[in-house]
Amino acid sequence: MKKTVLSLLTLVALLFTACDKIEEDQYIIYSGASGEWVDGNGVSDHTQRALIEKYTGVRCLNCPTAEDAINAAVAQYGGKLLAVAIHDSSTFTRPYPNNPDLRTATGNTWSKFFGVFDAGQYPVALVNRTPGASGWDLFNPISGINSYVDPIVNSEATIAIEVSATEAEGLISTTVNLEFLENVGDNLNLTLFIIEDNINATQLMPDSEKNESYIHNHLFREVITDVWGTQIDCTGAKGEKKMTTIDYQVANSEWIIANCHIVAFVSNRDTRQIVNVAECDIN
Amino acid sequence: MKRRFICLTALLAVCSMSAMAQGIMGGHVTGSIQLDGQISHRDTIIGSQDVPQKLLSNARADILYTNGNFSAGLRYEAYLGPMLGFRPDYEGQGIANYFVSYKKENFAITAGHFYEQFGNGMSLRAYEDRYLGIDNALRGFNVMYSPLSGVILKGVIGRQRYFWLESKNIVRGLDAELSFNDIVKSWADAKTRLTIGGSFVSKYESAVNDWIPANVNGYKVNLPENVATAAVRMDLAHGGFGLKAEYAHKSQDPNDLNNYIFREGNVLWMSASYSQRGMSANIQAKRVDNMGFRSSRTEPYTEMLFINYIPAISKQHTYSFLSMYPYATQSMGEMGLQGDFMYKFKKETLLGGKYGTDIHINASLITGLDTVDAGGRGTDGYTSSFFGTGDTYYGDLSVEVAKKLSSSVKFAATYGYVVFNPITEGHAGDNHHNHVVVADLTWKMNKKNSIRFEAEWMGSDSKYDESIDDKRAGDWIMGLVEYNFAPSWFVSVSDQYAYNDGIGNYYNLSVGYTKGATRLQLGYGKQREGIICIGGVCRNVPASNGLTFSLTTSF
Repeated sequence: MKKTVLSLLTLVALLFTACDKIEEDQYIIYSGASGEWVDGNGVSDHTQRALIEKYTGVRCLNCPTAEDAINAAVAQYGGKLLAVAIHDSSTFTRPYPNNPDLRTATGNTWSKFFGVFDAGQYPVALVNRTPGASGWDLFNPISGINSYVDPIVNSEATIAIEVSATEAEGLISTTVNLEFLENVGDNLNLTLFIIEDNINATQLMPDSEKNESYIHNHLFREVITDVWGTQIDCTGAKGEKKMTTIDYQVANSEWIIANCHIVAFVSNRDTRQIVNVAECDIN
Repeated sequence: MKRRFICLTALLAVCSMSAMAQGIMGGHVTGSIQLDGQISHRDTIIGSQDVPQKLLSNARADILYTNGNFSAGLRYEAYLGPMLGFRPDYEGQGIANYFVSYKKENFAITAGHFYEQFGNGMSLRAYEDRYLGIDNALRGFNVMYSPLSGVILKGVIGRQRYFWLESKNIVRGLDAELSFNDIVKSWADAKTRLTIGGSFVSKYESAVNDWIPANVNGYKVNLPENVATAAVRMDLAHGGFGLKAEYAHKSQDPNDLNNYIFREGNVLWMSASYSQRGMSANIQAKRVDNMGFRSSRTEPYTEMLFINYIPAISKQHTYSFLSMYPYATQSMGEMGLQGDFMYKFKKETLLGGKYGTDIHINASLITGLDTVDAGGRGTDGYTSSFFGTGDTYYGDLSVEVAKKLSSSVKFAATYGYVVFNPITEGHAGDNHHNHVVVADLTWKMNKKNSIRFEAEWMGSDSKYDESIDDKRAGDWIMGLVEYNFAPSWFVSVSDQYAYNDGIGNYYNLSVGYTKGATRLQLGYGKQREGIICIGGVCRNVPASNGLTFSLTTSF
């Protein structure tokens, strides 16, 4: 009897330690990277580009077809169209056993904000975070991409953007140059994120078979800045040139930096619509 | 090891069945089988779609072997594919539940899957509801020990079922319950009876895994890996009076449900009742503040992986229009009050008449909390005054009068009023105010034949809006005729029609046959898109148009 009571008391003591208390000044340990904005040297390339964000999943059998359509469009536009593949937390993104988990919390945040998760239909894409008649202008890339991209890439850029990145011992240092080609105002954010190519993970194919050798490209890995970007310290007047450098320490050893790229885009802080975008390798 | 265990258990079950459900090593086998199926077609008016599989089915077989103090069981489930309204993640088949159990007078232990509830479930409720598609069984160990009469100690540890997978996170808990009338010999026959209890449940969830959202809208939040809920409860009765209460408190638990705030949670539930022959009265109150307790912070399905349960405080109506807008418990914050009164007017009185008259009145009001924002994500979130109330979420009043008109005819009339805030289902919009009238008459023609008529009317200030597409809106009428030919057959025909400001005409024909422990039911008709709730836990019901069938048997 005594042993029983002692055992129970020990168990109770163990359980009561089983709850963590976080002090208020420790709630947030990181709120997105940012850097100081200084006067820049200008940007020679004034190309207007578009970013297509594809919401996809390893258990979505039409997603490989959408990926093919996007790859064809990226090739067709010759550098004017950049792509990222985002895995949110839908039914279609649950990883197969013994496979890498391609889902990210940031991808989930975007998916919910842009109405992708609630709509529950995959694949789906959004170009430059453009609003539609109601909500966001989501579409199935299999049904055609050009009508969403052409109006953007055929227009004159209002902001030119250039990005470069270096890496040493897991610290990625990204430099962004901006040149304001029109008066655009100061209500702008800069968002940086990392994508990775050549990731092998099992994918459900259109014939309902699983392809264990499927290679995922331009996979969204993590945002460097706040998920909605860091504020650009500027007036937004025509002719203004700005530059910043933002550092990010890679915490995930599964990423292969040689296969990673940085995507940088300027967006309107209120509407979240992308103004211009650029991509670079990490040297 | 797991596979070997499953094979042995399955073999045991099969061998036992082949022994004609009895006599194997002194033990016996019992079980039940349920097979539900559905065929649904596209209907542009009600919004139903063709299903690619043509036939959807949910099936299960429960088998239990018992031999003295030992028992073992398993459940085979098959969702090929899951019926409409059930999550697609259920697709597949296999042994979903298995356990072995040993029970003595004062000791019991279960290994494998088990269901358990501490108190009202405010700290732990591992349960299954096949009609909601919820099964959060724990797989692990469940131990019960009674060191002396009137004292029951329970301990659990395990991981929750998640469709065909299992949550990565560990749930463990302890519960103690003391019944003083059993502990204190001199209180054994006392008119006053007192039971108190306490429980402690915690979960462990790593904050390291990449999948966990360390980064939420730009914040890397310092997530607690161990989150706990402690609860105390009491049950006091004296003659016809009863008083029950439970209070639970939850430690910091930033998660998807509460928008990653660090505010601690709590819930208080109280119930006072009085009953005597021919009369009962009950009043319940509760206050819930940030008490959604799940084993995964990021679980996207709002009904899945709950560790605890917040008792519902509104009546679960059975008539169609009264239950058209069921209330879903808002585990993140609500205040509620419910009163329930039943009285039977005796025979041979003015209101009782020849056979007596029953009256049942129920009313409930549920509101949000009165909160003041204190910073959103990565902060304590908000403050709230204990007695402050926010927007009305739900309110209802129902009065039912039931009377036997003759030796063969029973009649019940019900009036109900429902206020419903669509925000509780995650939609914007004005509150709906519905008046419902129901007439229900049963005529028992002889020992074998009876017929039941039901007529309902609902008047609502809601109007069908295509942009919201809530097909419950508008004014409705309904009629139902049900014929029973005991003990085997029944047939029923019903129709619900939105005659004003609404959309849809939902007719149904249903036939059932029962023989012994086997029952077969066939239905054909249309199902309106909506929500069903059982005990405040809800799931969506998509529109359907076609055939349904159900076969159940037990042995």
